[in-house]
Amino acid sequence: MTGTQHAIHESMRSRIVANYRPALLWVTVLFAIVAFEAGAIFNLLVEILQGLVSVYPFGNPFAEQVASAKSVSESIPTLLSRETIPNQGWQTSANGPWEGTFLGLEPMAAWLLRFLLTYAYAGVIVAWFAYGYRLYRRHYRRADWTPTDDVVRRLSSHSWGKFGLAVVLVFLVMALFAPTLGPTTSEQNIENPYSYTMKHFDAESGSVEEIYVGDANSGSESQGAGDDNIGPWSYDDFGRFHPFGTLPNGKDLFTFMVYGARVSLFIGLTAMGIMGVLATVFAMVTAYYKGLVDLSVVIVGDSVMAIPQLLLLILVAAVFNGHWLDSIYNGGLLIALVFGFTGWPALWRAVRGPAFQVSTEEWVDAARSFGQRPSATMRKHMLPYVVGYLLVYASMTLGGVIIGTAALSFLGIGIDQPTPEWGTAVARGQPFVATQSWHIAMIPGLMVVAVVTAFNALGDGIRDAIDPQSEGSEGGTSTAAAGGGGG
Amino acid sequence: MSQQRHRQRTEAAPVLTVENLRTEFQTDKEVIRAIDDVSFDVHPGETVGIVGESGSGKSVTARSIMGLVDDPGRILDESSIRFHGEELVGKTESQYRNVRGSGMTMVFQDPLSSLNPVYTVGNQIKEALRLHQGLKGKEATERAAELLKAVSIPDARRRLTEYPHQFSGGMRQRAVIAMALACDPDLLICDEPTTALDVTIQAQILELLNDIQEAEDLAIIFITHDMGVIAQVADRVNVMYSGEFVEKAPVEELFANPRHPYTQGLLQSIPGRGDPDERLRSIEGDVPTPHGAATYCRFAPRCPKAFDECESIHPAHVDVGDGDVVHTAACLLYPDDVPQEEALDVHRERESPAERTADGESPLVDENTPAEEKQ
Repeated sequence: MTGTQHAIHESMRSRIVANYRPALLWVTVLFAIVAFEAGAIFNLLVEILQGLVSVYPFGNPFAEQVASAKSVSESIPTLLSRETIPNQGWQTSANGPWEGTFLGLEPMAAWLLRFLLTYAYAGVIVAWFAYGYRLYRRHYRRADWTPTDDVVRRLSSHSWGKFGLAVVLVFLVMALFAPTLGPTTSEQNIENPYSYTMKHFDAESGSVEEIYVGDANSGSESQGAGDDNIGPWSYDDFGRFHPFGTLPNGKDLFTFMVYGARVSLFIGLTAMGIMGVLATVFAMVTAYYKGLVDLSVVIVGDSVMAIPQLLLLILVAAVFNGHWLDSIYNGGLLIALVFGFTGWPALWRAVRGPAFQVSTEEWVDAARSFGQRPSATMRKHMLPYVVGYLLVYASMTLGGVIIGTAALSFLGIGIDQPTPEWGTAVARGQPFVATQSWHIAMIPGLMVVAVVTAFNALGDGIRDAIDPQSEGSEGGTSTAAAGGGGG
Repeated sequence: MSQQRHRQRTEAAPVLTVENLRTEFQTDKEVIRAIDDVSFDVHPGETVGIVGESGSGKSVTARSIMGLVDDPGRILDESSIRFHGEELVGKTESQYRNVRGSGMTMVFQDPLSSLNPVYTVGNQIKEALRLHQGLKGKEATERAAELLKAVSIPDARRRLTEYPHQFSGGMRQRAVIAMALACDPDLLICDEPTTALDVTIQAQILELLNDIQEAEDLAIIFITHDMGVIAQVADRVNVMYSGEFVEKAPVEELFANPRHPYTQGLLQSIPGRGDPDERLRSIEGDVPTPHGAATYCRFAPRCPKAFDECESIHPAHVDVGDGDVVHTAACLLYPDDVPQEEALDVHRERESPAERTADGESPLVDENTPAEEKQ
């Protein structure tokens, strides 16, 4: 430690003022990167606001203002929007040039360009934040070393965990950039196909014709037999490119998947948030008060665990049918609530042990002995020790919620049509698994597996990273915490 | 013994009065009476020592007073703990919280684990200051630095921003004492505060406690298993064995004239006190786990002077002091100025109400047992 007394009393702020160049540069570049997508970010905020306003059960007082804000947000140019690099176009003759696409490229090339650009953009943002962390460590952090450094180092050398992180990031980008990534949009292709028209070159009449998207969909179905199949990475008869092929009703599977990722993520995060809060609060309270409080939460938790989730979901879906809660995200919120309020006991049990361990530490008694309030003692002296465990189990439970939601949609419960959900695609493709239309069930199925595995892998990685005992003992230790690394 | 202070007990009301304290731990298998009928009081500016082997119930006594006995432990109803005359037994957790810290506070055995490793020492002292003196920001930092200076930590300003692991053992314990002082207490309970420290640091901490006590007229309950430490700090000593006090005396009287065989055994097992040619004596066996009220002397199995009646009569405290010195022991050998049969009668008579309680026939408010405290 080279810190003089003077240096030690500096705050973070004064350290930045003293050496402002790296920080300024970093923030400037960050703004530049974000500016490319400013319109999309603003648009997202407006859409969230719109969603909230529309949920309000007693009329929509601000609907006009929100609608005008939306039109403003749409007029801001953004790098990755569909308008900048359009991929939907039509040929003017049988083998003629494409119209309406980016630089006259064929739709596949235009879509691929936008797809790659989007992921490159996301990659740049992630890399820029990683670079920012390194800058902070080099220039602004007071300590030369903190335990967090070791956690980061252990995670960065944990290949199974890194695999998980990479797939999770791909999944997150998919959900966040869904409108940009799809070859078409959910609104046009899936939800209201008969409200939109498209142009295509009709070989029979030899001219460009305009038809409803819905009609085009019914002409590009994947039904397994005969000519009724649009497989992965192919065009349909209407000049539309389908990276993952089409669904049995002719809708684009890739678009379905990216919007489905949004639904999965929303349900997963909401359920996780509810579970996390409940599990944390109960873990703190039971560990602090023990005895009767603990016993009653054990009983309540066991009772909740004994409820068959599937039956409860069917019941809730029936009871809340037509209720305004059911209208949010086509029942997605309702599913998230059910998962959240039935899933907390598992998470609570996982963190109860560590919480009890902390509660017997002498500093907790010391805090009590000088009269600290129970809530402050729990928050300040117990919670920091449980957060790490919570992170690990939350990551793993998130995968569980996603697979659970997919299973429900597979059974036809939960998310209503036409909101895309991965399990729905698997269910639709099930009759065609053994035919040439295998892609309908196979691709979503594999993606569910990949994402859930990735969340578990990430959880494993975090667990090994925050556990100092896992250091330098690849498969050597027999501690329970180090097990299941898979590597 | 060299720096023994001669404090006269003032006429002022005691800071803390403990009467008939009984604490039980009820588990599925058994009931353990960790504290059985303990009575004592602490006056301002005085240090009361509690000494005994591991497992004799010293720490449970401290935690009972602080209201920190965790489930499944509970303090029985006929117990009384009065702090400045205010009854603490039966208070709710939130009522107790107001007493803790503002009036009395505790210093724990292990200074490493009683400081939270993830916060700076300054942060933790300021936490106590904010709670009890409402100080925030710069003011709190000033006061915290003063407190660290008061416990003889040099370069206090810089030390405030350091973490517990950057402190040495002795400094950590000083920091813990500073935290306790931040509450501005009248009564400080020290639960083996020097056990985890080496002897030179131990001496410094004891010196520090002494200085603070004199400066603030603080009452201290000092718990230790170390007779040497007791000799140095305590004004009065209670010797604890298996949940009971077996002997109570001013410190000099206890060392000069130990009456209970257990106390005598303890003193003989201090190195360097006895004949240098003789082997160091020890008390064979362990402290038994007490279940329920005793109807016998709990020390009898290990007592070199035990006789048959020790198995059937529970000894009461009898005066064994010379003249007006308050010195009592709970042993059937006393009073030794009367024939043994008569002495046994004294114990039988004094103990009969307590036995009734044990059988649960009548819950009584016993006014005779702590008679020696009322002199």
